[in-house]
Amino acid sequence: MAAEPLLKVENLSICLGSAGAARPLISNVTFAVKPKSVLGIIGESGAGKTLLSRALVNWVRPPLVITAGRVIYRDRDLLALPETDMARLRGREIAYIGANPTTALDPTVPVGHQIEEKLRTIEPGLSRQAARKRVVDLLDAVRIPSARSRFDEYPFQFSGGMMQRAMIVDALISNPKLLVADNITQPLDVTVAAQILRLLRDLQRDFGTSIVFVSSSFGTIVDIADEVVVLDKGSIVEAQDTGRIQRNPVHPYTKDLLAKVPRLWHGVGSIPEANAEPVVLSVRDVAKTYAVKDRTSLFRKNRVQAVRGVSFEVRRGESLGLIGESGCGKSTLSRLLSSLEPPDHGAIEVNGVDVATLRGAALLSMRRRFQLLLQDPYTSIPSHVSIGATIAEPLRIHRLASGRGLREQVCGVMQDVGLSPDLYDALPVGLSAGQRQRVNIARAMVLEPSVLILDETLSALDQVEQARLLDLFDNLQRKHGITYLYISHDLAMVRRACARIAVMYLGKIVEIGDNETIFGEPAHPYTRTLLSSVSTVEEKPFLPKDYLLEGEPPDPIHIPEGCSFRSRCPFVIETCRNVEPPLSPRAGGSAAACHLGLDRLPAPSIVLKAHNGSDLKRMDSL
Amino acid sequence: MAFALEFFLRRISQGVLIVLAVAFVIFTLLRIAPGDPIRIILGPMATPSAMEETAERLGLRDPIPVQFLRYLGDIARGDFGNSFIRGKQGGTTGGSQDAAGAPPVERAAVIELIARALPYTLLLAACGFLLACLVSIPLGILAGVRNSGWPQKVALYLSSFFVSLPNVWVGIVLIYLLSARTGWLPAIGYQHIGYVVIPAIVVAVELAPVMIRSISVAVATNVQDPFYEIGQVRGLSARIMLFRHVLRNAAVPLLNSFGAQMIGMLLGGLFVVEYIFSFPGIGLLTINAVFQRDFPVIQTVAIFASTVLVFINIAVDFASTTIDRRLKF
Repeated sequence: MAAEPLLKVENLSICLGSAGAARPLISNVTFAVKPKSVLGIIGESGAGKTLLSRALVNWVRPPLVITAGRVIYRDRDLLALPETDMARLRGREIAYIGANPTTALDPTVPVGHQIEEKLRTIEPGLSRQAARKRVVDLLDAVRIPSARSRFDEYPFQFSGGMMQRAMIVDALISNPKLLVADNITQPLDVTVAAQILRLLRDLQRDFGTSIVFVSSSFGTIVDIADEVVVLDKGSIVEAQDTGRIQRNPVHPYTKDLLAKVPRLWHGVGSIPEANAEPVVLSVRDVAKTYAVKDRTSLFRKNRVQAVRGVSFEVRRGESLGLIGESGCGKSTLSRLLSSLEPPDHGAIEVNGVDVATLRGAALLSMRRRFQLLLQDPYTSIPSHVSIGATIAEPLRIHRLASGRGLREQVCGVMQDVGLSPDLYDALPVGLSAGQRQRVNIARAMVLEPSVLILDETLSALDQVEQARLLDLFDNLQRKHGITYLYISHDLAMVRRACARIAVMYLGKIVEIGDNETIFGEPAHPYTRTLLSSVSTVEEKPFLPKDYLLEGEPPDPIHIPEGCSFRSRCPFVIETCRNVEPPLSPRAGGSAAACHLGLDRLPAPSIVLKAHNGSDLKRMDSL
Repeated sequence: MAFALEFFLRRISQGVLIVLAVAFVIFTLLRIAPGDPIRIILGPMATPSAMEETAERLGLRDPIPVQFLRYLGDIARGDFGNSFIRGKQGGTTGGSQDAAGAPPVERAAVIELIARALPYTLLLAACGFLLACLVSIPLGILAGVRNSGWPQKVALYLSSFFVSLPNVWVGIVLIYLLSARTGWLPAIGYQHIGYVVIPAIVVAVELAPVMIRSISVAVATNVQDPFYEIGQVRGLSARIMLFRHVLRNAAVPLLNSFGAQMIGMLLGGLFVVEYIFSFPGIGLLTINAVFQRDFPVIQTVAIFASTVLVFINIAVDFASTTIDRRLKF
């Protein structure tokens, strides 16, 4: 690898604003990308990663200003190139893929057509048929199922993972020399992210493309990069090759970053345990089906089976985690639980009372005990109402307080969640995502609920803020005996926060058990697939090579007969094709819906000790 | 295919109900509002008994639902009735008829009156709309793409200026400037295509501000969508992104404001403008019919206008869902 670098960044500095008021965001960054290699850039949110990756394709717009430095691509400074010359490189020799694939294309034109449009712009001589064939071939190569018909489908018909594949096709269709991938796996489910990473590695090998891979997840960077550059507050603090940076990080920031990577198996610290308090929430065989118009036939509707018979119980002061890929019915379930919608059948009982039987005042007071917290902290609080008034609103609705008492109660709960009461009359404009989420939490807590449903509540936050809020939830639980239902796709968070965990697949619970069983000895292949796909910096008991499969869950309109996981299960046997496995109990209150016994699944590749609080401080040896 | 078929079946059946409801409301309001058509037909000197006789003959003394059903039956046979007032030649005969009255067949069929006036209205509407498009499409797009700078200012000032001009006043000023003062263009009535220019300008001045505003807002929204910039990073030129993608996306809100707002404005504007210029279109016909309590003409124009509105909205919705497949109607 002694070859001349393909891309050199020299002393790059970028500021926000100009002249006196300028705030530096990137300072004096220098690195080089070798041909046919993958350079990883890692940093926390706010470190300037996206800005840096945009600077590589000369896509920095006012009020951001490049104040110094050069980006040299094959002896030419991209930053000094006239716009027309730069346009001749973009999308041709240098491709860029962003973090949000769902908004990257025109929503009104089929995905394949837009890639074809780009190809034919780049190579004007190409006939329509030839261009189409090349696009379809590449869509096939990134393993988009039935690529030929997918070619004519619209962006909204693609899932996030499929769309990111399409964007990879879009980037690679011109055989670029350099690919800048900015956090491309962040919005994806773990299984899909793992597939995309594997795909990118294969493609990089086959096409010989150099990749600049930007990510905030150490596990992901370690998976893909040859060399790693660590970015902190706009400056590079360390640059090493991947193996070395894992073994001996030099800079304190790198060490800190590595230590903050959540652990699932080694040194996880204390794990919440199930308790024996009375059952607060009992869900019995709940199901929900939506009717959706079928465009291809007259007056017919498709039945989308979002939730198909879910049963579980949660005890007082306990935390239950519900995990699964997007589209598995988690959010529908949370809508049913918070009685935003009634289930088609089945019953939801709170303290032994069926919610469906409640009307009027009784329903209102039940709702008071039952609060829902959503993912997006920006759209869930009104921007033109003061923070205090936002938090006070539930009290007014339920007529629980007024006047001075109301203000005192609101200030009390603000202190509880770590918001300064000085913010009472402020607007939420300047608040960070974490603070906004605290406003949400305060608004829910002010009613003193007994059950909180956390539907991806922490997913939009960075790891540090996430950890702080998890501590907050712990404290509140201890103080008020609240029951939490964590709905999430973040396995590390569930590992840390939940005593019991239920795994959902295609509208059903396929496995439920205590934390230790689910992570240490899961009996369902799907649970193991999820665990194998996590990007971590530690050794995993379940390896992607044994479990990770291509593809996505079948669509909930046409659910196959037999076991719903059989289309992706590597261990499928004859019975699975016809007989749907029931959720059968195992030792210790766990249950799994699989025909195979533990002995017919591969043994874990490492043996895990039982964890307890004692190894809290133990650091990993990698 | 199945989608289109179901769409049109459903929407047309809904549309028929809407038109029927409009027809019934207009029909009823005309009959309960003050103003007796018989007095206008027969003139101020008619005797009460003659008036009663004529009213009986025209069926105006039956209960309103009965009249309405009879009217619907006639329409089903393609007969929209005859004007109370206008003769075959189009002239007004009101007040000059004796008690026996000229037999109704002597008076013009409403459908013929409308057929005679419609081409003029269509011509005026098309010219006015085209003129408005000529100004507002380029200006609206420019203002939408460059959210700062002169095009945006021009667009803002021009539309504020236009929107604050009452069309009656614009009409009179233009007649004075372009016709009375300079004699460049004819203004009153219709003899050749030149007569359409000044009224079309007035219609355009009324439409342009709304169009400039909706176009620039729609374009600006889509230019801010990530796909516009990302498209350029993907290697497509700003020009391709603008003309193939941004305009396509902007078309959906534009079509909607066209169907919901501008068609209404256009119809309303035409009525006033035709009246100012004595332009022999549907508007003038209707306004005269209102003054003369000419029920059959008013009813037919109302049915006709609501049918046009309903169908334009069906077409707009179909076009929108064809452009953007996420939309469901």
